[in-house]
Amino acid sequence: MMPGMTWTAPQIDRTSAPTVGDERTILEGYLDYHRQTLLTKCAGLTEEQLKTAAAPPSNLTLLGLVRHMADVERWWFRRFPGEDVPARYSSETNEDGDFDDVADADPAADFAAYEEECQAARRAAAKLSLEQTFPRRRPPPGEISVRWIYVHMIEEYARHNGHADLLRERIDGSTGQ
Amino acid sequence: MTGMTTWTAPEVDRTFEPYVGDERELLLVFLDFHRQTLLWKCSGLTAEQLKTATVEPSTLTLLGLVRHMTEVERGWFRRRVAGQDIGRIYDSEENPDGDFNALADADAEADYAAYLAECQRSREVLATVPLDHTFVHPRHQKEMSVRWVCLHMIEEYARHNGHADLIRERIDGATGE
Repeated sequence: MMPGMTWTAPQIDRTSAPTVGDERTILEGYLDYHRQTLLTKCAGLTEEQLKTAAAPPSNLTLLGLVRHMADVERWWFRRFPGEDVPARYSSETNEDGDFDDVADADPAADFAAYEEECQAARRAAAKLSLEQTFPRRRPPPGEISVRWIYVHMIEEYARHNGHADLLRERIDGSTGQ
Repeated sequence: MTGMTTWTAPEVDRTFEPYVGDERELLLVFLDFHRQTLLWKCSGLTAEQLKTATVEPSTLTLLGLVRHMTEVERGWFRRRVAGQDIGRIYDSEENPDGDFNALADADAEADYAAYLAECQRSREVLATVPLDHTFVHPRHQKEMSVRWVCLHMIEEYARHNGHADLIRERIDGATGE
């Protein structure tokens, strides 16, 4: 980066989910669409803007959402199915580190980490079939399927993109799906 | 006069299960969860609170979201999937966003009941069509499947529930997924 240039969140291209196709094709399509939408909601903003809790009393920030989704990707596609990797931003003693520790966070590093996490999630998910199940880690006891994980990821992203819609609008007035 | 009480949006029970199942079963679980969640975000509030835009400059309100999703349920399941020749309830040519913004004289209790009725009609349509059934959207000139409609409904609900999260928190501090 040239000296004197302020880092801003990158612009990215977005691809709509296909409207016909088999189950996995549409699930993958919508998941990627929402990954891209979160980044679209951040595009062009500065570090300070991304760290702004723009809809108090909520402490949500756009950077917090990106950090949170990096750990959510890692949890559902890698850790929950049994891979032994730690969460990036949170721990047992700091459960909301993803959201809470934005003041000193490095947004460029966090955005790069998010992209890495999505790639790692895609690689891990490609080895799983939708019918596979894994045991729940907390009550109630039972199994969770990969199919459930996919739909849950889409709805969690979509809900956080709803938060992002309003945060962004309050930061610089920009709207749009 | 005795017995005059102000209507408030009713309390809602929500179902989070099951976490395994076939494609149709899980799509229905998530869709109903989000229908319930939208109403849960309204529960206990008066009509006036439901009509209040609290995340300005956004003009979104909780009642606007309920009215909007009434149109969305009706549009996708009855008009598109089932091919029924039915018009819109709140929108018109003069006011294409009447669902969101024609609130001054809106009857919240009636709108709430209309929403529940429309959801029930959606369920009836969905029960009769396979997920692979397709139709051509007249405006977008695109072939679309019932599978895609279900996922789209889930992600549209989830995104609006993200809006509802922040709107509600700024009305009375209530939070929760």
